[in-house]
Amino acid sequence: MGAPFDYTYIFSYFPKLLSTLGITLLIVAGSLLVGIIIGFLIALPRLYRIPVLNTLARVYVSFFRGTPILIQLFLFYYGLPEILKLVHIDISKAPVLVFVILTYGLHTGAFMSETIRASVTAVDRGQVEAAYAMGMKGHQAFTRIVLPQALAIAVPVFSNLVIALLKDTSLAFTLGVMEMTGKAETLGALTQHFVEAYISLALIYLVVSFTLEKLLLMAERRLLRHEQPDSTGNRRFRLQRKRGYRRLVAGIESGKGGAEA
Amino acid sequence: MIKLTHISKSFGRHQVLKQIDLTVEKGEVVVILGPSGSGKTTLLRCVNYLEKPSDGEIAIGDYRLSCKHASKKDIHQLRQKSAMVFQQYNLFKHKTALENVMEGLVVVKKLPKEEAKTRSIALLEKVGLGSKLDAYPSQLSGGQQQRVGIARALALEPEVILFDEPTSALDPELVGEVLAVIRKIAKEGITMIVVTHEMGFARDVANHVVFMDGGVIVEEGPPAELFNHPKEERTKQFLKRITPELNYSI
Ligand SMILES: Nc1ncnc2c1ncn2[C@@H]1O[C@H](COP(=O)(O)OP(=O)(O)OP(=O)(O)O)[C@@H](O)[C@H]1O
Ligand SMILES: [Mg+2]
Repeated sequence: MGAPFDYTYIFSYFPKLLSTLGITLLIVAGSLLVGIIIGFLIALPRLYRIPVLNTLARVYVSFFRGTPILIQLFLFYYGLPEILKLVHIDISKAPVLVFVILTYGLHTGAFMSETIRASVTAVDRGQVEAAYAMGMKGHQAFTRIVLPQALAIAVPVFSNLVIALLKDTSLAFTLGVMEMTGKAETLGALTQHFVEAYISLALIYLVVSFTLEKLLLMAERRLLRHEQPDSTGNRRFRLQRKRGYRRLVAGIESGKGGAEA
Repeated sequence: MIKLTHISKSFGRHQVLKQIDLTVEKGEVVVILGPSGSGKTTLLRCVNYLEKPSDGEIAIGDYRLSCKHASKKDIHQLRQKSAMVFQQYNLFKHKTALENVMEGLVVVKKLPKEEAKTRSIALLEKVGLGSKLDAYPSQLSGGQQQRVGIARALALEPEVILFDEPTSALDPELVGEVLAVIRKIAKEGITMIVVTHEMGFARDVANHVVFMDGGVIVEEGPPAELFNHPKEERTKQFLKRITPELNYSI
């Protein structure tokens, strides 16, 4: 298929693909924002075991974890306007990007809620009791004691979610969104140099992933500065904790793998 | 003064505390002894409502609270009357020693930061940690962490400090330094209720010793009396088991 391989195309595609990087990052950022809000909303009833909402939250998470993101995209893009038409709301003219960000946001929110739940649960209960015992109120104990530590625990998982999201956005082209993958498709079709377009595309994804990962690692280091011990005795403790995190990460990621299209 | 009246607590169908009455005078050190599972921790945790008593009344200083009708606000008020030192220290791991001690002063007592800081530094110096102000808990030994825990409790200037086995998670060579600090503050007339298995400490420091078993107070009295002339059979058995070198006439 296509024209004979010519590596110079790889380079000439870079600027063309990069011109759509903005759209890709917009989808990532928008979905993260929606995802974090949804994540908290879904995590709270589960953390506090609020009867009916707790069950609803679980169904929500199961749905988004258990179905391919591609199907979710189709369901929201084609299905949602139909359903809303029944109650006389017309959203068929809304930009595709809105549907895309909504879907990825809801999808990420499901994983985010699990991350938040696991991280909050991982902060040891004793510290919360110490906060209460000294007379702090519930919200003070949460924002001052639990949240900062939960964030530090969540960052490695969060970082994986961001990378997964970045890669997942490549499916938005199936709805005709001109993000990077969509652009690569178009360029390939125009010139018949598909392979070069994909190589170029892969390299850009790689660099962006790598950069995001490094940035998030810096955030993690900063949030975990209280765990930088100065003696060997403590280092053992730290490694154990680390392994604990990794297990946490692995647990959540095994779920993530299942939902990727 | 602290006065517990008819404090009961059940976990499900298991009644752990059965109508406990206990009075602690201002400046007194009360040591609670008893076998594992007798309800010592639960009793201590009822005093600051980390466990909700099923029934009874708690009075600390001039504040009284009837456990049946306690509102969130009442509980919040009650908790400000006491401070707790935990077996597992429970320091805030993301905060330095200084920040741990300052936390309550800033957030609960609403002191200006500078004042909170000055007071916290003084307290950490008092427990011998003047050189560890900026250390995180993960950089401190168990004994040092527990001393931060004690400074954190002192900072709140509570009516009473509750100690739940403050030295039992420590390596034996670190127990002494923590007990020394507790002795020191006991001498300053701070009211405390201490659950411990350190008999030497109980003998020297306590004004009043309480022996609990099966969710009730079996016997109480001044240490000299309770240790040397226990009246109840269960007390004798317990003391014999825990201090075998002493001979009690049974
Ligand atoms: N959260 C809980 N849920 C159910 N049962 C509990 C709970 N906490 C304590 N218990 C039970 O209450 C009883 C008293 O426990 P408590 O911890 O007060 O004993 P203790 O005297 O402090 O013992 P130890 O010396 O081992 O610390 C035990 O039988 C324990 O199993
Ligand atoms: Mg106990």
